[in-house]
Amino acid sequence: MFHALYTAASGMTAQQINLDNIANNLANSSTSGFQARRVQFTDLLYQNEKMPGAAATQQTTVASGLQIGLGTTAGNTEIIQLQGDLSSTGNPLDFAIQGTGFFQVLLPNNQIGYTRAGSFQPDAQGVLVTANGNALQPAITIPASATNVTVGSDGTVSVTLPGQTNAQQVGVIQLASFTNPGGLNSVGNNIYLQTTASGNPVVGAPGGSEGLGTIQQGMLEQANVNIVDEFVNMIMAQRSYESNSRVVKAADEMLQGLNQLAQ
Amino acid sequence: MDSGYYAACTALAARTQALDTIANNLANANTAGYRSEHNIFSAVLANTQNGSGSNLNNAINNYGIVSGASLDLSQGALQKTGNPLDLAIQGTAFFAVQTPNGVMYTRNGSFQVSSTGQLITSTGDPVMGDKGTITMLPGESSISADGTISSNGAITGKIRLVDFPASTQLQSEGSSYYSAPPGVATQAIDSKVQQGTLENSNVNPILSMVELITAQRSAESMQKALSMFSSEMDKTATQELPKIS
Repeated sequence: MFHALYTAASGMTAQQINLDNIANNLANSSTSGFQARRVQFTDLLYQNEKMPGAAATQQTTVASGLQIGLGTTAGNTEIIQLQGDLSSTGNPLDFAIQGTGFFQVLLPNNQIGYTRAGSFQPDAQGVLVTANGNALQPAITIPASATNVTVGSDGTVSVTLPGQTNAQQVGVIQLASFTNPGGLNSVGNNIYLQTTASGNPVVGAPGGSEGLGTIQQGMLEQANVNIVDEFVNMIMAQRSYESNSRVVKAADEMLQGLNQLAQ
Repeated sequence: MDSGYYAACTALAARTQALDTIANNLANANTAGYRSEHNIFSAVLANTQNGSGSNLNNAINNYGIVSGASLDLSQGALQKTGNPLDLAIQGTAFFAVQTPNGVMYTRNGSFQVSSTGQLITSTGDPVMGDKGTITMLPGESSISADGTISSNGAITGKIRLVDFPASTQLQSEGSSYYSAPPGVATQAIDSKVQQGTLENSNVNPILSMVELITAQRSAESMQKALSMFSSEMDKTATQELPKIS
């Protein structure tokens, strides 16, 4: 009886975490470059009252054991690596990655952060930075006098200067990819950090054989949150929470009945 | 004391145990690949003083206990996720996983690639292929219905799918893993792998709710029976009868 209470509580806690995650996915459904996360649940340990296959008599074994499960837990939140929709913005400094790569940006603590949010702006010195002021790596400087910026699908950035007819190359955007991008560490502001689970980044020019993907200028990648899926998951989480609370109520009423016995 | 008192008591204990299993099923209703468990109630004939005893004697000493919980191996609902490393099995097969505690089996096919390129479960244990663990090449891999993994048109491995004879007793190990006695797993024949899909748990919420209500109401009747024994009969015997002088 007391298991049932704690088991149901574990189910309620798990669904609460599920709902927290769904809320975060939905809240970020308009965040460009955001990648949805998914909570994975696992069952907890089992109490073996009777082992399956234990001897019932000298000749026979019990057909099925008596294993009482102790509930569920949220095991991990995996980053969904599906491509988000690309939306055209017309802004020449908006870049979308079509593929699995990440932009590299320099964080204030000199660490390299990885992001798929490709909305860049030039800072006072003309260096391309993210909305939070983190410089794109390797750094690309757009001259203040440039009249036109063109980024090729292979990441080549070229500018046209006044009085010149030929475009001039000012740098190449490089992308990074990971063996296990699902193991990256989200630190907010669309930034991921590498972990031992994600492995070391493979850095290269877009469009190469590493499968980093290509760059689309004038486009932004929308969040890969699927609103319909999130709503279905939300209903599932809510109903599952309810059924677990129903178990708590049933266990409580059975205990109450027991207590009344002793009167 | 009346033996019926103990029969009701045993039944009440069995219902509380049954509630534990039901609670675990409902708690794991959203655990991918979880197999629900169903209680098996059985009668236990308590020893009677004179060996076989009369029919009446047998009937009132026939206690109901939970003797086991059987694993429901029916197919769970398939949910499309689009994630290329989510694999669902249609059929009876299990994935084989190399864990620190030996080979375990699971229906939870939400796999990932480790930093060294190995195909691993969400708990980090390598998934087994026909030739040991599986190394995934960078880039998109497609996985066919029989578990063959191909990358850029070249076959890079095959996921091991195993079946068990109907008599096999799988043991739940937590983390969606099941263990089986050594040597019983055979190559799966009729099962298919679906890429981009996850199998939900096969917990039937309606059935679980009905089981829950049955356990609760049946516990109430046992409590009623117990209070009958203690208030109506034993009280009469111990408090009312001695007053008659």
